[in-house]
Amino acid sequence: MKGNSVLIVDDEAIVRESIRDWLADAGYDVATAETAEEALETIAKRDFSVMVLDIRLPGQTGLSILKEVKAQRPWIKSIIITAYPSEETTKEATRLGAIDYMVKPLAPDDLEHLIRETIESVGKEPTVITPPKAPGKPAAKAIEIKKSVVVSKQSFKSLVNNLIKITDVYGVKAKRGKYVYDSISSANELALNYDVTVLPPTAYLFPPRETILKFKLGDGSKSEPVTNNTPRAIIGVHPYDIKAIEMLDEAFITTNPDPNYIARRQNSLIIGVDNLNPSPKSFAPSMGTHTAENGFDLMLTDLGTKYMVTIGSKKGADLLRKYAQISQPTADDIAKQKAVLDEAQAKYQLHLDVPRERLPKLLEDSYDDAYWQSRSETCLSCGSCVMVCPTCFCFDVQDDVALNLKEGQRTRQWDGCMLVDFAKVATGENFRHDKASRFRHRIYRKGKYVIERYGRMGCVGCGRCAIACLAEIASPLEAFNAIAESVRAKQAAQRILREARPESELYAPRPAQLVRVEQLAAKEKVFEMKFLDGKELGHQPGQFVSVSILGIGESPFGVATSPTRTGSFEFAVRNVGSVTNAIHNLQKGAVVGIRGPFGNGFNVKALEGKDILFIAGGIGLFPVRSLIQYVMDRRKQFGRAIVLFGARTPAERLFVDELAAWKNNPDLEFYETVDRGTPDWTGNVGVITTLIPKVQIDPRKTMAIVVGPPIMYRFVIVELKKKDLPDENIIMSLERRMKCGVGKCGHCQINGVYVCQEGPVFSLAQLRNLREAV
Amino acid sequence: MKAKVAFFDFTSCEGCQLDVLNLTGEELLDLLGAIEIVNFREAISNRSDDYDIAFIEGSISREAEIPRLQKIRAQAKVLVALGACACIGGVNCLKNHLPMEQALKMVYGDAAKYYDTIPARPINAVVPVDFYVRGCPIQTGELVKVVKALLLGKKPDIPNYPVCTECKMAGNICVFEFGKTCLGPVTRAGCNAICVTGGRQCWGCRGLVDEPNKNSEEEILKKHGLTPEQVVEKFKIYNTYAEVKK
Ligand SMILES: Cc1cc2nc3c(=O)[nH]c(=O)nc-3n(C[C@H](O)[C@H](O)[C@H](O)COP(=O)(O)OP(=O)(O)OC[C@H]3O[C@@H](n4cnc5c(N)ncnc54)[C@H](O)[C@@H]3O)c2cc1C
Ligand code: SF4
Ligand code: SF4
Ligand code: SF4
Ligand code: SF4
Ligand code: SF4
Ligand code: FES
Repeated sequence: MKGNSVLIVDDEAIVRESIRDWLADAGYDVATAETAEEALETIAKRDFSVMVLDIRLPGQTGLSILKEVKAQRPWIKSIIITAYPSEETTKEATRLGAIDYMVKPLAPDDLEHLIRETIESVGKEPTVITPPKAPGKPAAKAIEIKKSVVVSKQSFKSLVNNLIKITDVYGVKAKRGKYVYDSISSANELALNYDVTVLPPTAYLFPPRETILKFKLGDGSKSEPVTNNTPRAIIGVHPYDIKAIEMLDEAFITTNPDPNYIARRQNSLIIGVDNLNPSPKSFAPSMGTHTAENGFDLMLTDLGTKYMVTIGSKKGADLLRKYAQISQPTADDIAKQKAVLDEAQAKYQLHLDVPRERLPKLLEDSYDDAYWQSRSETCLSCGSCVMVCPTCFCFDVQDDVALNLKEGQRTRQWDGCMLVDFAKVATGENFRHDKASRFRHRIYRKGKYVIERYGRMGCVGCGRCAIACLAEIASPLEAFNAIAESVRAKQAAQRILREARPESELYAPRPAQLVRVEQLAAKEKVFEMKFLDGKELGHQPGQFVSVSILGIGESPFGVATSPTRTGSFEFAVRNVGSVTNAIHNLQKGAVVGIRGPFGNGFNVKALEGKDILFIAGGIGLFPVRSLIQYVMDRRKQFGRAIVLFGARTPAERLFVDELAAWKNNPDLEFYETVDRGTPDWTGNVGVITTLIPKVQIDPRKTMAIVVGPPIMYRFVIVELKKKDLPDENIIMSLERRMKCGVGKCGHCQINGVYVCQEGPVFSLAQLRNLREAV
Repeated sequence: MKAKVAFFDFTSCEGCQLDVLNLTGEELLDLLGAIEIVNFREAISNRSDDYDIAFIEGSISREAEIPRLQKIRAQAKVLVALGACACIGGVNCLKNHLPMEQALKMVYGDAAKYYDTIPARPINAVVPVDFYVRGCPIQTGELVKVVKALLLGKKPDIPNYPVCTECKMAGNICVFEFGKTCLGPVTRAGCNAICVTGGRQCWGCRGLVDEPNKNSEEEILKKHGLTPEQVVEKFKIYNTYAEVKK
């Protein structure tokens, strides 16, 4: 017999192995036994100096071993360890020859010290070493599942370091400014105040690749399941990931229990930590996953220098007993815990717009929503969203045969519904062949199928997919909210329909009489109109009306007079086709239909106090004339008024009398040009842009009003930019094909904008965002 | 009876063939135990025209290579393209963006007049290809996988999903997070995203997946700071032929 041989008898692997390792490290010759039976067998075979004995064992109790040992090898000195000391058992044990007692959790140094003393001493009096405990409260009662205790950070570190000695430990570490789960070899590597990890901890329960079968081919062909039972601890699991594990438990364990998952799950100790620093992409509170009450062995809340530790299982309780210095939380600790959790919850920025219970129904009603198609357009089918998701658990199975072609293994590896071939069958048909149906399927899994099948949320709101998706489309929250919005909009539409009061006049023109016609040029005439009911048109400069000739059609024309000139209004028409021709044929006294005024018109309020540079090309003068008149009639409200007008030839000049009057009006600075001159033309020749360099303007207080043929805009803008005029100060009126004038028919639409509603007047700044505009 | 295997090279660096020889001793012995290599320019000198499986390395970039390839196709029961050049045209196709004469001059200098050259193209642009071992250079593990599949008479499991999937499985932090750009989202996986795992990014050496969302990838590259020209350049490195073909 060696003088330092020790037998450890304990049914809990973690205790047994940790004591073995401590003592072996300290130079003792150590053997272990798991049960009373095994212990007796071992003792029958060989001798020991000391036996460390847990008195609570399955089957025969520790006390009964003491009896046997006393009979067989009375010189073995026994030390009792227990988590539940009571006076009765203490007495009984000493009666049976126990030398000493220790109360779990054990401190390695104390135990080693006691064993050394025991070996050295002869006939020493028993002493009881217990950890410090609150007065009046037995230690056994202090630790209960669901109870919270307080552990200093230092003590937690030593717990982790002890754990590392006896089991594989994985925890959250910092890596290049992000966080990952990784194997840890010291508690100092942990970074527990993190936001979210790249991959979820579920990767330890359902790894990216694992072998599920080993097989032999050929004559003795057979296969054998492979599972991984290595004990491990996972440290730093956030509540949403704990909820994800519960969801996986449901999927892997409830029906057809999965041996590989269960082996890993049962051998994993989970130490959670409350998330006080949520990722901006997370929406855990909306999914009810920002806190967890179950599903962990221990759960930490960071209170600064210490942790509030909630005990979730016996395993967790034992761990604390063995390795940590615990104390009861004070009222302050409890208040602090609530405060930090509340503060953390207030940090979440993303929220579900509907109660999550309604998601399944909402999705059910939205299978054909346009959202799926439009939102998935940029999907890369890259799989990132499903790979990083803690609740995704789809896999592919592949056989890998060795080169000798005699043996091999069957492995499973992560797969996912976002990958193109996921639902492809052997015949080549793919049941989810397009991006939209894959995209929809995933969101349905997250918000409907999983809930219906397993009774748990299929998305825990961790936000990892939203971080991983380069196309920025993967967040289920966004999809849920978009669908909710779309359903709300549909319902609103139905409500609107129920409560709608039609505007019967919308398409019915008001009769107006032609009181004067005047030929302006070869193809242009101006028409002065009065409503038969004597009412005013009530327009703004820049607005337009729809003029209808029954039997021919209807066309939009800018109002050519200012609203300051009451009693009648004018529009001018170039004869280009059917309606315009019919209008040209009208005689004084004829009655035509008018709808409108339509459109936004020039914002005259915004022009007040400004210098105004009017630039009109050809019949662009018609709507501009309305604003010129307005400015002339309210001259004092505006700064300088500069008018540039261009016509193709002298014969195509419009409102020639007015042009002459403007030229002589000291209140106006007037310049005009023609593209091509004639022998009798003495004025400027050249396109309208040639006039712009001739005028001096102050770009800070000048507004340019530009109306003309489409080609003109581009060149005029270039010239105005040379004068440093900001985009906001360049105002243009666009001509688009129009039918309804009331934002319905769609003819006038530029990207998302209806010109008849939001236009026809736009600033260049607005148009820069409308790519179809110029 | 062992399957007889021959290796042939066309226009390439022969880097992929050399890679075959980099197999560990044991793997090579295993490989030779299962197959008989009858024609392998880099390894053995006696040549034989009796083979079942032909591995083709390199792209086709000279007129004379076409009949030679067709002859191999006629003889081989199974034809496997080996490496980026053979599978997708690879880096050789970069010259397609230059006028042919200029390309010749760049490569051969004054000797250019002795060579004819045609736009470089992958093997499958000339003859049908049964299987592909992708990559630049290839990974021996994948070559072994394809050989085994051939011997077992099954289709090798070569992914048709992008590198991102494997990159995520490897637990990598996406390089876009560090301001780099990557072709992983459109490139066929199968390499376990080794470049990203090794601290670089994916250049697309394994070619595109069957249904790449190139528009979206281009938008993403631009959003992460690449000019349209740089985006085009990035795609060109390995996937020029796919571009030109369109
Ligand atoms: C807001 C706005 C203000 C306008 N202001 C004036 C104005 O003050 N004076 C003026 O003479 N014209 C103006 N127009 C243009 C005028 O509406 C069209 O010239 C007219 O509708 C042509 O109709 P039509 O039946 O004579 O021609 P059609 O026989 O139908 O067609 C002849 C040609 O005109 C084009 N055209 C047809 N309908 C339109 C339309 N709704 N808009 C633009 N082009 C069209 C056709 O493409 C074709 O090239 C304005 C247009 C808009 C949108
Ligand atoms: S779907 Fe996205 S947010 Fe939801 S659990 Fe998965 S990764 Fe997290
Ligand atoms: S079906 Fe899609 S969403 Fe669902 S678990 Fe599988 S990969 Fe994840
Ligand atoms: S949704 Fe995003 S992450 Fe998911 S497959 Fe599409 S592009 Fe990739
Ligand atoms: S680094 Fe490249 S391959 Fe990896 S996830 Fe990002 S884009 Fe995909
Ligand atoms: S990561 Fe990209 S470049 Fe690197 S080996 Fe894979 S496919 Fe080729
Ligand atoms: S003209 Fe019909 S929507 Fe604008």
